[in-house]
Parts: sequence; structure tokens; C-alpha cells
Amino acid sequence: MPGTAAESSMLLGASAKEWRRRLQQALLYFFVILVAIYALFPFYWAFMTSFKTENEMFQTAAYLPREPTLKNYEYVFSGGSFLLALRNSALVSSATSLFALVAGSFAAYALGRLRFRGRVVLLYVVLSMTMFPAISILSGLYTIVRQLGFFGTGLSLLVTYPVFTLPFTVWVLTSFFRGLPAEIEQAAIVDGCTPFQTFRLILLPLTAPALVTTGLLAFVQSWNEYLFALNFTATNPSAQTVPVAIALFSGEFSEQEPIAEIMAAAMVVTIPLVLLVLVFQNRIVEGLTAGAVKG
Amino acid sequence: MRLPSSRENGEGKPAGMRPGAAPSAAQATMQMSAQSSSNSLNRLALSAAMILIGALAIVLFFAAVTNDDAVQYVINWQPGENGEQEPSLLLVYLERYGIIVTLLVAAAGVFFMVIGWRLRAGNIRQAYWARIALLWLGIGAGAYIALDIFNILNSAAMDREAVDFGALAAAITPALVVMLIAFGLWHWLNRRIDSLFGGEDSLLGRETRLAWNLLIPTLTIFVLVAARPLEQTFIRSLTDKRFAGSAVPQFIGLENYTNLLTFRLDTVACRKSISDGPCDTRANGSVRWESIDRELLRAGYRTILHIQMGDRALAISGLDDDFIEAIITTVIFTVISVALELIIGLFMAMVVNSKFRGRGAMRAVMLVPWAIPTVISARLWELMLKDTSAGIFNKILLDLGAIDAPLAWLSDPSLQIPTAIIVDVWKTAPFMALLLLAGLQTIPGDLYEAASVDGANPLRRFFSITLPLLRPAIAIALIFRTLDALRVFDLFNVLFGRQQLSMATYNFETLVSNQQDGYASAISVIIFILISVFAFIYVRLLNVES
Repeated sequence: MPGTAAESSMLLGASAKEWRRRLQQALLYFFVILVAIYALFPFYWAFMTSFKTENEMFQTAAYLPREPTLKNYEYVFSGGSFLLALRNSALVSSATSLFALVAGSFAAYALGRLRFRGRVVLLYVVLSMTMFPAISILSGLYTIVRQLGFFGTGLSLLVTYPVFTLPFTVWVLTSFFRGLPAEIEQAAIVDGCTPFQTFRLILLPLTAPALVTTGLLAFVQSWNEYLFALNFTATNPSAQTVPVAIALFSGEFSEQEPIAEIMAAAMVVTIPLVLLVLVFQNRIVEGLTAGAVKG
Repeated sequence: MRLPSSRENGEGKPAGMRPGAAPSAAQATMQMSAQSSSNSLNRLALSAAMILIGALAIVLFFAAVTNDDAVQYVINWQPGENGEQEPSLLLVYLERYGIIVTLLVAAAGVFFMVIGWRLRAGNIRQAYWARIALLWLGIGAGAYIALDIFNILNSAAMDREAVDFGALAAAITPALVVMLIAFGLWHWLNRRIDSLFGGEDSLLGRETRLAWNLLIPTLTIFVLVAARPLEQTFIRSLTDKRFAGSAVPQFIGLENYTNLLTFRLDTVACRKSISDGPCDTRANGSVRWESIDRELLRAGYRTILHIQMGDRALAISGLDDDFIEAIITTVIFTVISVALELIIGLFMAMVVNSKFRGRGAMRAVMLVPWAIPTVISARLWELMLKDTSAGIFNKILLDLGAIDAPLAWLSDPSLQIPTAIIVDVWKTAPFMALLLLAGLQTIPGDLYEAASVDGANPLRRFFSITLPLLRPAIAIALIFRTLDALRVFDLFNVLFGRQQLSMATYNFETLVSNQQDGYASAISVIIFILISVFAFIYVRLLNVES
């Protein structure tokens, strides 16, 4: 009976296949959970610590706070200096990313779309800005910030942050502009647009997704920056940004690190960023696809 | 060929703003012949003004340099009793102005003069370039005025004094005059450009001018905050400059570099408490070595590393053992953490690239470590890695029975680098995953289907499809991350302070804590060269360009 043999082997095959599929699914979800624990456990730990009391810091670690308290948050917001740092960070980061987007999209349009002599050289000049560590220009920047009279003010950061935001923005946007079809521009020229009008009215709206991505990345970079902020604003408490304020945090008991308060502050600072990332997650992947891999 | 609004409208002004901007060719010719004598006079005046501006820029720069306090100090320097070395005029000039600024001022001056000279011919292309030059001169002067006003108001606010408006007016007058002249000429030229100048403009010319207009903001920032500071770092690395000090620095040649990079190899014997007996060892099993020659110690050599060869060892000693140790630490840190990040990042990317419910949320969750500021994540790990059972890491390991007693992750020297690697990998593997995910998405899915029809198992599919096609993405991610890891600063600074130095934190300590600006600059230059070498090797090995 060849028919039954074939049938039974097919049945067997199907169920083996089914089992393999299920196993694969289970394995996949196991991996997903693994990645989730990897990414979130420290975050969870910081979150729990921010509700713990000072005493509990020295007891055996517990997964949930023994006596949950909001004292750490109260402490962070008392005195107003942390709020000031939050405001400083928000101002500096938004202004920096806005500047990076305006100057960066101008430069990227020129480098990606216009024909002129020296284009390739200029592209390399912009990229070479990413080659050296920030520390190696710190002393030179210190001199310039002093000469400009910006030392101890937020302007010092506004002037120096383009060192790391601008090359990246130009790099991503240039490859984005290059990827747009040439017909768009030709049509615009036939319709009587000047090159600048083509840029402003036609190409710029098309690059909106890339603008969102690079703007967000520039924002995150400036929000997290520490070295320049430490050196240029640490002396003036009213100009400090959040990372500096947290690094220089002193608690109620001056001889020990106020780690629970720091974690409370960290939660306040990080949750907006995490929400931003959650909202723009797709855009970030898209933008980096365009910038890093095609470029 | 007549391009739409090509003449009047090169720099993006909407068409039809200027009345009578595009007269018919015949009208234009008539007007031009009627007004030709006054027009040529106007052109000549503009030409002269441009040449004058260019010449004045160079002369005024020279005057500013010679009147500079620091330059004057060197010129009027007299040898005193305390036997100070004579300050170098060249060094003071390079420190205050540098080569880049000098070249830019000279180039701008020559540009104005050349354009001015060519304007006499009445070619409209030159007029367009003159217009750009005048516009940016005006904007530059305006920025200078804004800066002056800010500084005067700011210092008044700092000292809690009333603002001295007389001094303010006096300070901004020269720049104000320059700005008014530049904008005045620009405005005048803007209105008369078509009546004064003729000739065909080309599309290429228009694009070139627009490109430069658009690039000037970026290039200005580039010169101000990257090129000029970098130039200063190179110059200072040859001097004994102190950070934020007022002492006049001196050229000391390559001394900083020789001090940083000199090392020597010696062979040393092991210590023996009984002669002919076995080598003495420490509690942890490592052999105790004799120190290097006393004379060498006196000359400043410190041993960094022993390489055992039988009962003798090769001792590597250097004049600046901290720096060489920092290089070794950083390279070890970079190689291991980038390798781990690649493996974990690839794993994460493949997980979030497969189909399952909640994939979008998972991709966002994956990015959480990357979004947390390094300063904060370093503190957070400091907390989790506490050396008692109050640290969750120790508690988990104790509960699992993997260790008998809590480990001192942060203060035990042999655990410091592994700790730094753990923290860095946690934070940056998601970024790696993001770059690789972007690469994975470009691989067409039917390739995998074809392979599985052909009976290739998942492992085979990974090695013969995923990995080769992902190569460009991996190359980019590796370069980004390696260059970043070599520059690691925040993490080492927060976790270890001065206990365990990376190249960048050693640089920072030398500059900010020890105030040795010249020495720190030499360190910067060496780091810069090392990173360039890494970048070069990577680009060659991975063949990124192709």
C-alpha cells in the first residue's frame, strides 16, 4: 500500500515540521526576553533604587524597595538648581540641534546636489572633523571660548557642540539628498525655480524624515555631552547642564555619595529621552540606514 | 538658451522683486548706451572700493597684530635679573593668531582685490561674486558687533555695575562702520547690478555661488571650533605651555614627545630568597622580579610590564609609564569590547529583525541603554557593581553560587578593565545592533527562501548569506565603534577617576589636574595619530570604498 505509506510519512513530516516551527517560535521568544532583560534590567534597577531609602543602600540588594519613599525625588527638585540644569540642557540641546539642522541641511544640499569645484575636498574636510577625540581640542577650545567671552555661559556649549553634531548631520543629510531622483530638480528648474527655491520649497520637505532623525540624534548627543559642559560651565552653577549637575551632585550627607538621589535625577533625565526614542524608533532606523550604510 | 530669471535672480530672491529687473534686450542696450559714461564711472568706483576693502583688511590685520599686547610684550622684552628665557615672537604669533587665520585673512583680502580689479570689465559674474563677498563681510561685522555688545553687557552684569554706554559705543564703532559700508555697497549693487553689468551667467556659475553661500556657516564653525583648536594643539605640543596660565610658553622642540614615547627593554632576574632555589612568588602566584638598574630608576624609567622567559624576564620600562599603560589599557579595552559588541549587536539585530508580535516596541526597548547618558549609566553600574552584597551583581552571583565572596569589581585592578568592558558593551551594543539592523533590512528575503529550498540549514544560511551581505554594514559599524572606543572618556572618568586611565582620561588629567598644556597637547597628537592609523588599517582591510 504505497498510498498509505506516503500519507503517513507526510503526516509525520507535517507534525515534525509543526514541532520544529513551535520550537523555533519558543526559541525566538526566549531570545526576545533575553534582549529585553539585557536592555532593561539596569534601567529597572535605577528605577527601583530611586525609591529606596539611604539606609537600604548598605543592606543586601533587594529587587523591590523595602520602604518605598519619594524623598529622593523631593530632594532632587528642592532648591531649584536641578530644574535650572534641566532648563539649561533643554535650551542648549534644542538650539544646538536646530543650528545643526539649518547649517547641516544647507551644507548637505551644496555637497550632495550642486556642482562646483572643490566639492569632494570639502566633503572630506567636513568628515575629518570626526577623526579626533574631543579631549584633543579641549585646550584650544578653552582659549577660544575665553577669547569670545563665553566661558561659564551656555553660549560656550552652543559654539562648541557643532564639533560633534554638525559632521554627522552633514554626512547623513548629504547621502539623503544624493538619493533623491534628479528629475525633481530638473522639473523645478523648468518651472522657473532658482536653485535655492528648489532646495527650500521642494527638496527640504522631501528630506523631512532624515531631518527628524538627525535632529533627534543631535539632540541626544548634546543632551548627554559631558566633557565640554564640565570644563566650560562647571564653575558657574547657573549655567550647568544636567550631566554636570548630576556628576557634581552632593547629597544630604556630604561624606557619602547620594546614589539614590542621583538615580532619581537620572530617571527624570532619562525618561523623556526614552519616550523620544520610543516615538521616533522607526525614523531612527530609517535615518541610519540612509546615512551609515548607503553613505 | 535663456534660463528663467537667470540674471537678476542668482541668489534666490523671488522673481519680480526689483522693478524693471528684466528689460528686453533692445531696451537694455539703449539704456546702457545712454548711461554708459556714468555707468562706467560707477563701476570704477565700486571696483576701487572693493580693492580698498581688500587692501585695508590686510593692513588692519597687520596693525592689529603689531598692537597686540602679547606681541608688544615680546617686542619690548628686556632680559631681567631672574634669568628668564627670551620669549619667542613666532610662538606668540602662532598662539594668538596661527597659520589658518592668517591665510584666511590674506585670502579674503586678495579675493576682494582680485574681484575689484576684474569688476572694471563689467562682467556680471564678477558682480555676483562681489555681492556675495560684501554680504558676508556685513554679516561678519554684524556678528562681531553682537559679540562685543554681549561681552560688555555680560561683564557689567558679572561685576554688578551699570553698563558704560560710552565705552560700548566706542568699542563697536569700527565694526559698525565696516558693517554699514558693506551692507550699503551690497544694497546699492543689488539694485543696480543689471544696469551696471552685462554678459551671460551660466547655470554652473549660479550653482557654484549658491554652494559657497550655503557652505560658509558650516565652514566658519569648522575653522572656529575644529581647525583652529587642532592647530593650537599641534603648536602647543612643541612647547612647555601651562593650562590657563599667564606665563609665556617656550619652544622645547620634541621633548614632550620623547618623554612620552621613550621606552627600553632590559632583562631582569627573579628574586630568590634562597640562592639556587625557586623564584619567589606573590600571594596571587605572580613571580617577583628584581627591579631595573638603579641608575635607570634615577633617570626616571619605571617598569610597565614583565614578560617571563624562564627564570629571567624582559622588563619594558618607560619614562612615562602611566601613558604607555593607558595606551595598553585602551587598546585592550577597545579590541575586546568592540568584538563583544559586534557579537551581541549582531545577535540583537537578528532577533529584532525576525517577525514576532511587539517587534516595534522591542526595537525601542533595545535602544534604552544607548539613550541613557554615559555619566548616568556609569553611576548606575557603579551602584550595581558595589563590592558588597549590596551590589546586585554580587548578590546574583552569590545566589547562583558562582562566587563565594563578593568581588570588588571597581577597586580590584585586575577586574577594572573587565568591568569597563561590561559597562561599555551594555551601553553601545544597541547602537551596533541599530547599524546592523539597517544592513539586515537591505538583504532580500527571497534569498533565504531559495537557500532553505536548497536545503541549507540556518547555520549555513547565516554564514553564506547573512554574513557576506552584511559586510558593508559591519565594516561601517566596526569603524564607528573602534574610533569611539579608542576615545573613551566619560566611562573611565566616572568609574575609576585616576585609578585606571584610558588615553583620553590620562590626557584630561594631564591637562586639567596637572595643568601641563604642552605635554597634554603632545598626548593629543599621539592619540590623533594612533586613531588615524587604526582608521587607515580598517579602511584598507575592510575595503570600505568599494
